[in-house]
Amino acid sequence: MTGARRRHPTPGRQRTSGPALARVRWALLPLVLGLAVPSASVPLRAQASGPGRLAARDVLIGTPAAQQAAETPREIIDHVDRLLRGASSRGAFRMEIRTAHWSRTLEGKVWSLGTKYSLIQLTAPQKEAGTATLRVGDEVWNYLPRVDRTIKIPPSMMMGSWMGSDFTNDDLVKESRLVEDYDVAIGYRGPRDGVEVWEFVLTPKPEAAVVWGKILERVRKTDLMPVWARYYDEDGGLVRTMTFSDYRTFSGRLVPATMTVVPTDKPENRTVVTYESLAFDVGLSPSFFSLRNLERGR
Amino acid sequence: MSGRVWWRLAWRNLGRNRKRTLITGAALAFGYLAAVVIVGVSDGIVAEMIDNGTSLLQGQVQVHAPGYLPERSLYATLGGDSGMALSPVLERLRELPGVTGAAPRVLGGGLVSAGSQTSGAVLMGEDPALEPRVSRLMAAIATGRAPEEGTRQVLIGSEMARKLGVGPGSEVVLVAPAADGSLGNDLFTVSGVYRTGVRELDAAYALLPIGTLQSLLALAPGRVHEIALGLSDPWTAAAVADSARAVLAAAGVPADVRSWPRFRPEIADYARLARASNWILIAIVFAMAVFGVANTMLMATFERRREFAVVRALGTTRSGVARTVVYEGLILGAFALVAGALLTAPILVWWHRSPPDMSFLYGGFTMAGALVRPVLRVQYSLEAPLLAAAALLVTAVLAAAYPAWRATRVPPADALSDR
Repeated sequence: MTGARRRHPTPGRQRTSGPALARVRWALLPLVLGLAVPSASVPLRAQASGPGRLAARDVLIGTPAAQQAAETPREIIDHVDRLLRGASSRGAFRMEIRTAHWSRTLEGKVWSLGTKYSLIQLTAPQKEAGTATLRVGDEVWNYLPRVDRTIKIPPSMMMGSWMGSDFTNDDLVKESRLVEDYDVAIGYRGPRDGVEVWEFVLTPKPEAAVVWGKILERVRKTDLMPVWARYYDEDGGLVRTMTFSDYRTFSGRLVPATMTVVPTDKPENRTVVTYESLAFDVGLSPSFFSLRNLERGR
Repeated sequence: MSGRVWWRLAWRNLGRNRKRTLITGAALAFGYLAAVVIVGVSDGIVAEMIDNGTSLLQGQVQVHAPGYLPERSLYATLGGDSGMALSPVLERLRELPGVTGAAPRVLGGGLVSAGSQTSGAVLMGEDPALEPRVSRLMAAIATGRAPEEGTRQVLIGSEMARKLGVGPGSEVVLVAPAADGSLGNDLFTVSGVYRTGVRELDAAYALLPIGTLQSLLALAPGRVHEIALGLSDPWTAAAVADSARAVLAAAGVPADVRSWPRFRPEIADYARLARASNWILIAIVFAMAVFGVANTMLMATFERRREFAVVRALGTTRSGVARTVVYEGLILGAFALVAGALLTAPILVWWHRSPPDMSFLYGGFTMAGALVRPVLRVQYSLEAPLLAAAALLVTAVLAAAYPAWRATRVPPADALSDR
């Protein structure tokens, strides 16, 4: 929630956020926390193959997921980017956080609507049950049941850790799509560990205001499930790795139910998010995402 | 001929044109005054910078666990995860010569929130009894008072208070990631608002009783991040740091001890620069005096051409002639020095005791991140007056050197026959 790195600045020096990890926006978090995007906007155009495109046979293998998939690298990444999103969604998750100093498991519920609204409420551990985070647009509030107060997270704290995890507050408000900020190319296609995959290379568009220098993402050909994503800084150093696993079907949709994040500079740290339930298109309205619901605990 | 004769001659020559001697001596005395006062003012600014740059918050020597800096991890407490027995170590540190106080501190990053406003903050847990002997934050309280031990009170800076729209008595929420991974949060009352004039400080630091912050951060008592020492003379910091290292080693606490020139290098650099420029200033003042004094002495010796010719004709050696002139300069210098010292001392003392308030000229400003108050206090040391005294005497001798050489070159026959 607050600064992942605690600094004690000398006067005259700005309070800075931590190393690269805390500074970066983690583009895939909306996916993790089910920040919804209208599924209807997923482009499913069938186009002839051309430079930079995949042949239709590469994609249309016949699985349900693949059938509704796109065929250019850009469209595949966009599809993966929005796997966990519906027009609206509701879910329950477990977040295991491990650091060199402590380990803890959070449980909670998450609601989302479009790219703009989300509400996360902790149900466990007991001590922190009721703690909730509301996001509307680029504003984030935290409700603290212990003192029964809601605080607004200031812009300067957006790079701070969310609930001590490897997520930042800023990850919560990231709402733009990967394909809007990155050019997508195929780095590899073929078998890896006996599975046919693509490895995509995402490089920021020149004008894009992003923090990653490069993202590599491996996607299974058969069902378009992501395997891992690796995030690099501008100098080409690996900053963090996100691994997808536990592919399960929720509301008729195959998704990776477990995501594991390991920051490179703290290999002993990891945050594992697992969806226990997830329902899409559950008919939420913007008025649901109110400070009142934040404090009442849905 | 004994040497005393040359001294006597020099003395008499000085009395010959008293007005001229007086004026030349006054020039030297004022040169002395100017040099000492300029250096004093410059030293005063440096002392003010060091004082504000270190005494405001940091102290002159800081003790951390190895590896605490620069990341300032919440977990890197002195003595490791189990902490340390603080009191005996603090006691021993306080007993070191030149140490005025030793204060333990707990530091954590967090948020201070009131209503719809939230501000990022450095939460600093301090001991209200020990802290004022090290830092002046507590003395800079503008309204309200210091937080009391054992209460949920917090002292915040004026910038933060303005941003949050709170004052003494207001309720604020403090939120901080705790050492057990949980999110420490609690309601606090603002006990007071401090104002140092250093914006970054006034906006960032929130001070709590050390025990209160330890429980908010889920840190055991005895776990502290920093011990700060206050010194009576900041220039002894390196030596005190060495002694502090020995104290901590004896207590079995691995520690990284740093003195202020290490954590405020910009102030140390400025102090070095100011010191170097002091030398240059003294050199300039006396270089100007050399030419003035040399000029009058040259005239004085020129007037005595015939005399020199006579004494030379009577068998006086050249060195004898030269010595009278140089001695003349030395005696003049010695008198000017006494006069200058008598003139300078009261001015320095007065200026040091009641520094003129320059706020009509300029407000407080920060230089190298240190506040400089709008007062022009002079700082006196033994070094500057001694240095200036030596410079004055060297000046007098140098100024006499050329006239002396000229005097020895007077050809007796020519001078006596007015050629």
